[in-house]
Amino acid sequence: MSELNVIKKERTSVINPLVTCQPLGAMYAVMGIYRGMPLVHGSQGCSTFVRYGFSRHYREPADIAVTSLHEDAAVFGGRKNLISGLGNLAQRFKPDVMGVVTTCSSEIIGDDVGGFIKTAKQEIIKKMGEEAASKIKIVQINTPSFVEHQYKGYDNAIKAIVDTLAEPKDEENGKLNIVPGIVNPGDIREVKHMLSLMGVEGILLTDTSDPFDSPLRPSVAEKTPYYQKGGTTVAEIQDCANSLGTISLANYASSAPASLEKKYNMPSKVSEAPIGIKNTDSFIRTVKKFTGNDVTEEILDERGIVIDAMADVASRYLFGRTVAIYGDPSITVGMARFITELGMIPKVVCTGAKNDYFIDDLKKVAKESDEDIDALSGQDLRALDVYLKENPVDLLIGHSDGRLMAKDLGIPLYRVGYPVYDRVGYQRRPIIGYNGALNLVDGITNTIIDKYYEPQDWKLQQ
Amino acid sequence: MVLNLDTENRKTQNGNNCDDFDIEVKIPKSIFEKLKSIEALKARESQMCISGKDDSIPTCDKNSTPGIITQRSCVYGGARVVLMPITDAVHLVHGPVGCAACTWDIRGSKSTGDKLYKNGFTTDLQESDIVFGGEKKLYESILEVHKLYSPGAIFVYSTCVVGLIGDDIKAVCKQAEEATGCRVIPVQSEGFKSFNKSAGHKLACDAMLDYLIGTEEPEEEHPYSINIIGEFNVAGDLWGIIPLYEKMGVKVHTAITGDSTVKKVASAHRSKLNIVQCQKSSNYLAAQMQKKYGIPNLKVNFFGIDETTKSLRAVAEFFGDEEMIKKTEELIKSEVKNLRDEISEYKKDLAGSTVAIYSGAHKSWALVSAFGELDMEIIMSGTQNGKPEDYQKIREHVNEGTLIVDDASSMELVQLLKEYKPDILISGAKEKYLSLKSGVPHCDFNHDRITAFSGFQGFINFARVVHTAVMTPVWKLSRK
Repeated sequence: MSELNVIKKERTSVINPLVTCQPLGAMYAVMGIYRGMPLVHGSQGCSTFVRYGFSRHYREPADIAVTSLHEDAAVFGGRKNLISGLGNLAQRFKPDVMGVVTTCSSEIIGDDVGGFIKTAKQEIIKKMGEEAASKIKIVQINTPSFVEHQYKGYDNAIKAIVDTLAEPKDEENGKLNIVPGIVNPGDIREVKHMLSLMGVEGILLTDTSDPFDSPLRPSVAEKTPYYQKGGTTVAEIQDCANSLGTISLANYASSAPASLEKKYNMPSKVSEAPIGIKNTDSFIRTVKKFTGNDVTEEILDERGIVIDAMADVASRYLFGRTVAIYGDPSITVGMARFITELGMIPKVVCTGAKNDYFIDDLKKVAKESDEDIDALSGQDLRALDVYLKENPVDLLIGHSDGRLMAKDLGIPLYRVGYPVYDRVGYQRRPIIGYNGALNLVDGITNTIIDKYYEPQDWKLQQ
Repeated sequence: MVLNLDTENRKTQNGNNCDDFDIEVKIPKSIFEKLKSIEALKARESQMCISGKDDSIPTCDKNSTPGIITQRSCVYGGARVVLMPITDAVHLVHGPVGCAACTWDIRGSKSTGDKLYKNGFTTDLQESDIVFGGEKKLYESILEVHKLYSPGAIFVYSTCVVGLIGDDIKAVCKQAEEATGCRVIPVQSEGFKSFNKSAGHKLACDAMLDYLIGTEEPEEEHPYSINIIGEFNVAGDLWGIIPLYEKMGVKVHTAITGDSTVKKVASAHRSKLNIVQCQKSSNYLAAQMQKKYGIPNLKVNFFGIDETTKSLRAVAEFFGDEEMIKKTEELIKSEVKNLRDEISEYKKDLAGSTVAIYSGAHKSWALVSAFGELDMEIIMSGTQNGKPEDYQKIREHVNEGTLIVDDASSMELVQLLKEYKPDILISGAKEKYLSLKSGVPHCDFNHDRITAFSGFQGFINFARVVHTAVMTPVWKLSRK
């Protein structure tokens, strides 16, 4: 009998964290809006370190504003900073959406963020006039840093964005809402690609693909204010109230679909990331169910190409090899399932986030694959390190923060997730969908060949 | 030279409102006309000036304007970067997980020995800790990490939230020190304590002064022992400096804090001389060590041939040992011999190119000489955390007509790059991609650079990196 063995956290402290705090997820979500600008209500470090992290991973500029709370704000509250911050941001950047992202300090001070936003709106009207001011939407996103993690912050943000902006009309728009989760530009582009192959128009809530992978065109960058290309427009987000349904590709991002379902009687489906064959099949089926559109020949061909690639290599190089996976709670589960499809064994799956979906979803993977899987939920990289010292595996799948651990353990690391800062191109190459699966098959197999097969012997590599 | 601090202006500017337009214009008319068209820059005229026109420096060292995209960091970040390179210490961040998660391996400081400093430790404060206080959790965490790693010391950093809930980290550290027998050092670095992260540098220095330096005796007393202060061994910079001094007969006891150990820093008070590299973060430490232990200090600079040469000679002259002075001159002669030939190829391509610097305050003037040696000209220099004395330094180093700018936001940087069209921008990772998107080549001179730039060999590396950035053919394609 296969079973999931959940290993409990043994420490009070966190050593080498696998998660960060809520505001990061919220900033990420707001950056997926066309001319969307996060305004972090907190200390300068709260925006600066996230900007630094985004820049390192995506190799793109990341403009995020901050209200620069200092000691006087801690005593007297952040009213002045937030109101003048919104005013300054509106005047200088003329954004379509300002997403006010709270932090631990502004949450503890107990700032009446909603009230301040109302006052700020009046100020902006005074300064810019009714017409210009009405074009700027303000979304309040509560993200206390001492509760849960960035995935919760992302969830909160998408819900706040949808709740603030969605505008129901009498007619359906025939579109499908997609909440992609914290993924890479390549993943979002792959989702759009799959939808287009099925003739479905999607509303991405939100679309970070272009903002985080933008063309280098100095003549465009020189424009003031300069925004990275793309993102979901306000009009699209408003229209999300009239869609056929909402699919969330991350099990932690369920609030917005639930809210839309409740308010507008719209079906929704939340799942782990569509990584691998079964998960992608399931995504395609959901799209078909929601839209009524058929699965096209092109999609079947793309699926077939992955299956062909798997047949080429799975038994030769991958079968029976053991794997440890760490990172995002949704992506790791998707990855675990795909690993079993390749005939590999996901010995241990570790996430820093603590949520029930993770355990439930992994249980299913264990059952379907008839493998025993160890689960580390709400844990850190040190816990995984300690585990791997006693239970070594053939391959690690996770982000760059595990690179030193991988080196010490002598286990090859295939990089997936956020952040990846020591290899290039990972943010562009999808891991989602059939094309994502194809990338994974190639990447994982090459990593295995590099480590376990003699590079000189071409015969072995046939 | 008399500082023109322009106190009147600073008063009017100290508010948080960006609408204070009634500021005296200090930028020359021609430049101002250009900049005036840029809405975003209007309110910040007083934070820019042109060198050489008068004694003016930019208005600086004031609160950031809320709602702009500041390039600044927080006090915790400032403290963290100064202490992090102590290799055998645990750096335990008392706060929500993000403060540690976003910074635990942020600095490319290299180590010859211990790798403990590269791990991220946090108490991961949760909602219940905010309500009931996090002291117990902190205490348990300290005991735990001590048991797991037996570190040389445990630095405990307080973050914004700790300042707000009022945990007494000093008391907890004391109690934990008694229980573990390990040094447990509080760093009172609440992020919002100041708009200037230099306050964090100072707090870090205070933590070392109060709890570390002077608490151990060095293993050997050397007549010519020195500490290199404010050198953090990013990309291995330190390893381009130590061998030079050792060849002169000078013993480098430790750097503070690059590639250092708790023991070495603790016994740094017996060294005969402190040489100060990053003067922004560490002048204070040197001054305090002089006061407390009578250790004199010299300001040094290892970027560029001339500055490195000067810095070696200064130490030899300080000790006044004839043999050492002789050795030093021989060393310089042999090291520099082929150096100028080696850079001449780069120089051919780079001569006449223009440079913008936007980085830490120390670098904003310390790099000027090195660029001069490549026949490159600084046309803009600035920093996000500058104090009047920093801008005075820039003024002393750059040519007439250079734009000096304080605390430029990302939007302003793009505008300045557009107006000034430098051939390269020197800065850190946040500005890097803005620069590239604007079509301006970029050289990373911050925490995560991967090439050592210090000393003689470092200068060759530097010339190569700058040359590569400017000459890479991608810039011929980018405007098509």
